[in-house]
Amino acid sequence: MDETTAQEKMKQLEWYITKHCLWQYNSRGWDREIQNERILGKSKQLLCGENAREDDSNADRYYWSEAMTLVEAFKRYFPWLKTMKKEDIATVMQLLKEKMDYTMIKGSLNQELIKEKY
Amino acid sequence: MPYHQFKCSECIPERLEHAVDKGAGEELTDALPLGYLNTIPGTISERGCAYCGAKHVIGTPMKDVIHISHGPVGCTYDTWQTKRYISDNGCFQLKYTFASDMKEANIVFGAEKMLKKNIVEAFKAFPNIKRMTVYQTCASALIGDDINAIAEEVMEEMPDVKIFVCNSPGFAGPSQSGGHHKINLAWLSQMVGTVEPEIYSKYVINYVGEYNIQGDQEIMKDYIQRMGIQILSTFTGNSRFDDLCGMHRAQLNVLECARSAEYICDELRVRYGIPRMDIDGFGFEALSDSLLKIAYFFGIEERARAIIDEETARWKPELDWYAARLQGIKVCIWPGGSKLWHWAHSIHKEMGLEVVSVYTKFGHQGDMEKGISRCEEGALAIDDPNELETLEAMYTLKPDIIFTGKRPGEVAKKIRVPYLNAHAYHNGPYKGYEGWVRFARDIYNAVYSPMHKLAFIDISKDEIPTGKGFETQRMYSDVKISDEVKNDTALRQCTSKYDPIPALREKTYTFPDPKTGEWKVVSNEKFRKNSGVA
Repeated sequence: MDETTAQEKMKQLEWYITKHCLWQYNSRGWDREIQNERILGKSKQLLCGENAREDDSNADRYYWSEAMTLVEAFKRYFPWLKTMKKEDIATVMQLLKEKMDYTMIKGSLNQELIKEKY
Repeated sequence: MPYHQFKCSECIPERLEHAVDKGAGEELTDALPLGYLNTIPGTISERGCAYCGAKHVIGTPMKDVIHISHGPVGCTYDTWQTKRYISDNGCFQLKYTFASDMKEANIVFGAEKMLKKNIVEAFKAFPNIKRMTVYQTCASALIGDDINAIAEEVMEEMPDVKIFVCNSPGFAGPSQSGGHHKINLAWLSQMVGTVEPEIYSKYVINYVGEYNIQGDQEIMKDYIQRMGIQILSTFTGNSRFDDLCGMHRAQLNVLECARSAEYICDELRVRYGIPRMDIDGFGFEALSDSLLKIAYFFGIEERARAIIDEETARWKPELDWYAARLQGIKVCIWPGGSKLWHWAHSIHKEMGLEVVSVYTKFGHQGDMEKGISRCEEGALAIDDPNELETLEAMYTLKPDIIFTGKRPGEVAKKIRVPYLNAHAYHNGPYKGYEGWVRFARDIYNAVYSPMHKLAFIDISKDEIPTGKGFETQRMYSDVKISDEVKNDTALRQCTSKYDPIPALREKTYTFPDPKTGEWKVVSNEKFRKNSGVA
């Protein structure tokens, strides 16, 4: 898959998250990093047919639940995911993670992200 | 995403960075309004105070509690009809409001003795109520009354009562949001962990940031309990004081209004390891996804799917009747904090409305991130607007309807723009599948009201048409839709009862036993103790 196609697919997934999800908006930068890492990481694993459960802790079940719901919606909205090769899915999801990290954390203009306490 | 310069605010340059236009192809990293800052002198902010945020938004929806303000009686005005966080115990918390009624003499000589007398008097007047919250105000904070000491004294003398003190005077933050923050953390530190709750299901959550406006909590509770999930507490709508003291025993915090209650969720995660799951209770798709992910957490997704299918089949034809008639209607979503993002996308996608502006009175930049992301290009996003700015926005954007509070709503009506009450609702509940249809019906009724059309006639100079009879909503709304849609028998208008909540209160639910997993009926009385307090 060429870079332009990967970027175009990534933008579609980003659009879905932007319009429908809330997990990316935790109020502190460190929380957003964890949310992006765990939920998008597990989503990538699920889309690639890998095990996405680490343990049976409440925390892991939470991230997995968000990922399962996201992946289900991704497949509903973007049928091309069903025929895409696993390595291409991994590439698109990596781009998505980088974009979400930039928009929600590194490039964010939200001045509250760096506050030390909740 | 350039900043938006209001003409009326050219004389207040600091206001520039509080409003942006969402431009084509622009992103959150290009511009974001400032938010949650101290009011700029001269702007005549319409925000509430930190005391208001603590008491009127978060504290008072607790249902089996005497809520008393230690301050002037005027501070405690929000009671019956100004707030609509109802409860299933006769709405004690709405019918009765209490204040220590501080006067000038108390400012000089102190008001602690008077407060103690008032607390004891209130408990004696309502002997069935054994729980109290006391709210500090600007006046009692400035003179330094030690409310906690008084509460301790009373609890020693009356061992069967429990008192929570909230020190959040009006000046303790830029807006009511400062009060949300203070009471979240105060409740967590003082009260959570002091009661061991009864657990009767394998699946246990706290439902957080939900205030039961016209029954929202009870609509959502129905779905959650149908899945077999126990709601240990709701922070704070329709909740019991003691249930909220046992929040630490939940497996998951399901968070609705992150603006007012994310703090307690974040701290419960840090201190007790309970994950925070943000959800949307508004809109068919958003709600379905929310129920599904709660169910995934417990491994009961098939139960969620059954509810989603049943509710969608029941209510979707009614939503679609209104959606066919609301396409292209321009709306300003101008609530206090969270509804700009709860509604912005769902209302566009599922009802066809065009969101031309979002604002937040007391939201933070995080709320604007959500709201701007979820609305479409061209929308105007405003932080903490004043009346002149909202008037200018309405004259410029020409919305067909405004969703806002009753005070700015009355301003909109004066320039002949109909409004729906975004805070207390017109004919709610608006949450849930049924609620979303009720919301669509209220929008339809407001936009196509024949009475509203009459408001445009100036009887001092306009000619009054005498040659035609009464007009109806359908005559206005159906001119722009096709005969095919107009005659579609699969679609129908809202059939929700005038008040759908009483029937829900009589329902019984089964839950899986926490030890055996066997599904058992749990009596209604467990859900709503203290039913005799009214």
